[in-house]
Amino acid sequence: MRRNYSDIAIAEAIAILGCVAFFTHLPEPVMIVLGLSLFAAPGYVWSEVFLSPRTLGLERVAVAAGLALMVPVFGGMGLYAAGIPLNRTAWVGLLAVVTLVGAGVALITRRRQRNDMPPRRQGRRPRWSAGHAVAFGAAALIAAGAVGLAVFSAETQKYAGYTQLWLAPLPAQASTASLEVDNEQGAPVQYRLVVRRRGRVTATWNLTLASGQTWQRTISYTTSYAIAASLYRVPDLTIPYRQVDNGVSPPQKPAAPRRTHP
Amino acid sequence: MTVVGRTPQQRPAARERSAAGQRSAAGQRSAAGQRSGAGQRRPTRGRPVPPSQKRRPTAAARVAPPSRLPISVVTLIASLGVFMASAAFAAGRMGYASSPWADRAYWLGQALIAAPVAERLLSRRPLSPGGTATLIVVLTVAEYLLKICYSPLSFTFTDELLHWRSTVNVLQTGKLFTANWGLPISPRYPGLEETTSALVSVTGMPVFVAGLIIAGIAHLLFICFLYLSFWCFTRSYRIAGIAILVYNATPTLDSFDAMFIYETLALAFLGLSVLAAWRTTTGRSGGERIRWFILALLAITATVVTHHVTSYMLAGSLFLVTLASLITRAGATARRIGALAVFSATAIACWVIIIAPDTLSYFKPTVEGLVQGFNSLQNGTSSGARSTSSAPFGNQVLEGAVVLLVTALLPVGWWQAWKRHRRNPWMVAMAIGSLGWLVALALRVGTPDGQELAGRTATFVYMPVSLMAGLALIRLVNAALARRWESAAIAVAVTGTLALLFDGLANGWPPYWERLPGQHQVAGFERSVGPEEIAAARWTLTALGSGNRFAADTGIYPALIGYGDQNPLQGVGYLYSTPAYTPAIARAARAQAVQYVLVDRRLSRSPPTSGTYFPGSSTTGNGPIPLTDLTKFNRVPGAARVFDDGNIVIYSLQGAQSAP
Repeated sequence: MRRNYSDIAIAEAIAILGCVAFFTHLPEPVMIVLGLSLFAAPGYVWSEVFLSPRTLGLERVAVAAGLALMVPVFGGMGLYAAGIPLNRTAWVGLLAVVTLVGAGVALITRRRQRNDMPPRRQGRRPRWSAGHAVAFGAAALIAAGAVGLAVFSAETQKYAGYTQLWLAPLPAQASTASLEVDNEQGAPVQYRLVVRRRGRVTATWNLTLASGQTWQRTISYTTSYAIAASLYRVPDLTIPYRQVDNGVSPPQKPAAPRRTHP
Repeated sequence: MTVVGRTPQQRPAARERSAAGQRSAAGQRSAAGQRSGAGQRRPTRGRPVPPSQKRRPTAAARVAPPSRLPISVVTLIASLGVFMASAAFAAGRMGYASSPWADRAYWLGQALIAAPVAERLLSRRPLSPGGTATLIVVLTVAEYLLKICYSPLSFTFTDELLHWRSTVNVLQTGKLFTANWGLPISPRYPGLEETTSALVSVTGMPVFVAGLIIAGIAHLLFICFLYLSFWCFTRSYRIAGIAILVYNATPTLDSFDAMFIYETLALAFLGLSVLAAWRTTTGRSGGERIRWFILALLAITATVVTHHVTSYMLAGSLFLVTLASLITRAGATARRIGALAVFSATAIACWVIIIAPDTLSYFKPTVEGLVQGFNSLQNGTSSGARSTSSAPFGNQVLEGAVVLLVTALLPVGWWQAWKRHRRNPWMVAMAIGSLGWLVALALRVGTPDGQELAGRTATFVYMPVSLMAGLALIRLVNAALARRWESAAIAVAVTGTLALLFDGLANGWPPYWERLPGQHQVAGFERSVGPEEIAAARWTLTALGSGNRFAADTGIYPALIGYGDQNPLQGVGYLYSTPAYTPAIARAARAQAVQYVLVDRRLSRSPPTSGTYFPGSSTTGNGPIPLTDLTKFNRVPGAARVFDDGNIVIYSLQGAQSAP
């Protein structure tokens, strides 16, 4: 009887290639294909260990996929218990080792089964007509088009633009704060930023920010007197467009102007 | 040997005969026998049916011609349905979310997906096991694609964001069991996070894409295992296919059971556990049974590690099968399944005691609510459950009709189970388990939050119910009267099944007010998480660090947990319900240790879409909140206004004093 171990050899090759790829910088698509293969390989080899050669079709595929999902669950717990951080090295190593061990066990199991069991019967291949193939292909294309349409419509969905202004003390340095403006209006915008200390203007910046651009300064910060920053959107320099402060004074701060996005 | 008596593992031996048979007169008998003869055998003890027991196909079955709707065409129509529904989603994003035409396009898309599949499964025309499996896979994949199309760029649903955060934490720290402020129990069941982290690590894909892949595979696996299990229990892939079709009526199937949440992965393990448990009792050799037994132990353990409720349901199911085995005097089955049941209960107890002791406190409110509700029912007093649903009238009518339909199908299914399978412990267990339908109805009517609780338990209750309904449906379709008017009977059956499926969608998730994606809604769910909310949440993590105690509204709550890694609090409505920051409010805020208050000015423009502005709080009434109640923090001494984007303003209350 001719023995075929090519599937086990492929699984072993995937495990080794996965380790090799970890030390080299391969293109992203290659890494994705190789990574998915490495993720699936342990499930396949261990399904060869657990399942009888008589098990075919959906059941074999489903059990292999279930085992593939199980390996990281148990492997992650084992690594964590061993004090090994769950980083990329650990995951690649885990999947490769489980695949190689499983391949070894599968080889032994298959040899033993081959000796006392008839070879796996190949299922009768379904007849495929050109019409069915075209229909399935068209279905796949339409489904991909549906997802593409969803992605496109979500990416181009129109949201009201916004401008963020914040004044937050830096976590490690209470005497300094980060003052930042972020323009997400979808178009370049001119701003004037005014900082007041004890009610007096101490700094002014005229800013022109492209959409998505952020402006940032570090300023001295304290809670012993009032610090406030008002952002005006040119040309309206009378009513602040955005306001932040350190909450100290004045005791009766005016209510923030009620604004809507343009 | 008819296909009726074949289980998946027996398939190869009979496959060629079946395939050839479908091309010949004899084969037509065989193929037709699959449809009409399912369940028409003598009761068995869970062993393969010998060829001598096969039934002669009926005359009507013999003349069943091939279907005019090939599976490839069904797949093509389903893909058109996906495209139609995706176009409806796109229309919603373009501002037509409230348009009746967009809504109709969505439902037309759903009908295109479900109707051809239902017709092929319910029809008496020849259908191979592979064809049945393909139809089920097409239905499941099509619905999952719609889930992706609904939110194709990022996770937006609350629970998905919670698990996204846990996964990111694992990737960033390399450790398990890190804190998750929104769902503290989830890191204690880290199966989903481990699996996703592994995939992200080996492929370099974003967490969102990896999460979609893991959730999609797990969801499809669950359905496939369920189909295989039903096929094994009934020995009829046709009944199994119809049962899976009915199972698609589960309101949570295409939402909670397909989302990037821990239950989705655990359900796949549960399915494998059940299939492996069945195989331990029917394996051909001792070695084969041992291998399946080991596989069952692994799958049970994986379920326990991944999700609490799913593991409890699995243990309960195994005990139920043990009990049914004792009733049917299937001693070997009772011993093997009993051992698995004891193992699962032990594993659960060990996990809860050693790793996840928080589980007890997590379920305490739910259990107390249940007890209170049932006590109220017994005493005849009000349970606190809402007497009316807020859903549209059409949804309520559909829901009522489906309750009646399922309740009517169940006795027929029980009768069929008694008549054909009363010596099969698995089927007896399923029949007993389907009584859970009545318990779920009682839960829905009689307990506080019963509607939600019944919805969440539907995933498990519908499993035996769908199998009983499948038995009933196949009996009705095969009835002599139905055979005489086959087309009309199939049309009625397909219509009824579509009503079941549409009820699951209409009364499932997303809720009717977010059926289509669209512009921002105040205090909603998916439609309250947009770029502005995500940017604000990300800012909190960057500028303030993680784990800060936030007061925030329902809309931005999940984004604060997921993208912000913050600790938003429940029951904070009092902070937004008065025009002044009074000493009483200040005391309450200090008692809750509120560090930051997030104010969304849009709360003053619209009533809450979800019915409440703040999680766990109803103190703000139903109308829009007055703007003065929201802007009062501008006048609070010591309350720093640290962030302002026009709609969203964040105040630091750490130095705040009450109004003089």
